[in-house]
Parts: sequence; C-alpha cells; structure tokens
Amino acid sequence: MKADAVRGHLDGLLLAVLEQGPLHGYAIITAVQRRSGGALDLRTGTIYPALNRLERQGLLASDWESTGERRRRSYRLTESGRAGLAERRADWRAFTAAIGSVLDPAPGGAT
Amino acid sequence: MNADGSGDGGGRGAAEADYRARFAGLLQGPARTRARLVEEVGNGFADTVAAWRDTGLDEAGAARRAEAEFGTPEEVAASCEGELTLAQARHTAAVVASTAPLLLACWYLLGHAETARDGWLPQLAQSLAAGLAGVAGVAAVGAVLALGATGRASRWVAVPRRLPGAVGWLGTAASGAMAGSAAALTVAAALATDWPLVALAGVASAACHAGVASSARACRRQVRAAARSA
Repeated sequence: MKADAVRGHLDGLLLAVLEQGPLHGYAIITAVQRRSGGALDLRTGTIYPALNRLERQGLLASDWESTGERRRRSYRLTESGRAGLAERRADWRAFTAAIGSVLDPAPGGAT
Repeated sequence: MNADGSGDGGGRGAAEADYRARFAGLLQGPARTRARLVEEVGNGFADTVAAWRDTGLDEAGAARRAEAEFGTPEEVAASCEGELTLAQARHTAAVVASTAPLLLACWYLLGHAETARDGWLPQLAQSLAAGLAGVAGVAAVGAVLALGATGRASRWVAVPRRLPGAVGWLGTAASGAMAGSAAALTVAAALATDWPLVALAGVASAACHAGVASSARACRRQVRAAARSA
C-alpha cells in the first residue's frame, strides 16, 4: 500500500496498536508491520513525529523508561486517545461500507 | 559506514552513531524537543539495524537495509519539521504569555512611583506606557490563543499554516515593546524618588526583551527554513 495512502490513516494505526498497552517507538513500528502483514509502505522513522503530534493533542501520554543501556520513550493511550480511536474506527467502518457497496455490490442489490 | 552507506562501516554501533549525528545536524527547533527526537529516532534506528543484523547480515548490510526501511536522516528530519516548527512557535508563545504580564506590572509600578519633580517626562512616560502596555496585552492574548490552537484543540481544528509565522512576529512586537519599556523605565528611574524599584523594573523589562527577542527570532528563522524546504 502506497505511503501517501497510509499517511492519512497513520494516527488511527498508531492508536490501535497501543490499545492493548504501552509500547515504545520500535515496538509500535513492529506491531504495525506485523498486523499489516508487512503490506504498508511506510518509512518507519517517520512515526516518531506522528507520536509527538498525538501526544501534543492529548491522545497519547509518554514517559522515559530505562532498558539496558538505552532509554526508551514508552507511549500509552489516554482516555481521549481511546475515544479518538473509537471515533476513527467508526469513521473507517462507515467509509469502507460505503465504498465497498459501490465497488463490490451485492448480487441482486440496488443499482 | 561510509557516507554513501557502503563499506565495512567500522565496528558495531558506528553506523548508528553516524545516522544519529547526520539526523541531529539536520534539525532546528527548541533544544529539548530536538534532543528527544534525536534520542528516540537514534534508538529506533539502532533497533532496526539490530533486527537486520539478527537475520545474519554483516554490519554494513544491516545498516543499509535498516536505512532503506527506516528512512534516510533527510527523510526522517523532513517529517519532523512540522512538529519542530510548532514546538518552536509554542515555546515563543509561552515566553510571550509569561513575560508580557510582567511588562504590564512594570508600567503599573511606574504609574505609582513618586517622582522627584513634576515635568514633561513623567507625562510622556505615562503616554508611552499606554501604548506599550497595549502591545504587551495584545501579544499576551495572542500568545495564549496560539498555545490553545496548537495544543489539544488541534485534534479538531487543523493548525493554520501561517500560525507559527504569526507567533514569530507577535513575539517580535512584544520584544520591541519590552525594549521600549526598558529604555523608558531607565530614564524614569533617574527622576523617581523610589528609583531603585523603577530601575529594577527596567532591568526586568530588558531581561524579558532578551528572552522574547531570541525566541521570536528562532521562530521566524525556523518558519523560513520550513518554507524553503517545502
């Protein structure tokens, strides 16, 4: 899937992989790639400013955690983030249902 | 690793250090935000190199594949530019919002300072106070609005493209008012009976001017750089 197409949904993807619990940047990247089966064409380094933006908007919160030699910034969903994710899911379902009914109409359905 | 990504790349960690240095050199903006991005992105790249190394690639091969997947320092830095510009605008707005009320307080102090002799200067100072206080008041309100627009509100309403530039000029106007205020308070201190207090207000005003002017300049510079690279 092209990078431009992914970018429009990046916020929703990041919020979705954090739904199960806090993750640091690289774990978020691998979770997105694993869930998408590697189909998303995305320069993975570009998720860091997106995480910063979501935090500025109050959808994520983060803290530094020390693991071994490195410090990692661990992100978690806020209550607003959960609400934002639910909203994006509802929008996405409505969107795919509308497009799907045009591209792939049910046999015998309205034309 | 060589600049073109070829060669043996030196020992373990050399490619990661090189990537981090190249990335850090491309960023502009508030030091704290830059430091955070450099650490996060640097660690993310190091994790990506380690993952490719675990597949059996040598150092140079792992670094090349990691950069292809993660993005070059130029690509990642470009993706950070918007956030860094907003961070600088928010920093400038915070400095203006926190120092402009101090300017108003300084002028209030001058208004109530006893002068050793009546004359044209105190009256001139009072008129100047009204103008400069007006600029400071407008700048403070504008700065608070900018902080609101670039914070949680940006979830619902996109940040206007020209807002960081406007914040830069707002800071410049506020710093000009502070410079005028510092000069006027210095002169007024010479005529005031309780001159140490007025002189202190002048020094505070000059310090605020320095802080706001520096941040506003950085904000305007960053907006220009972002416009050039867009």
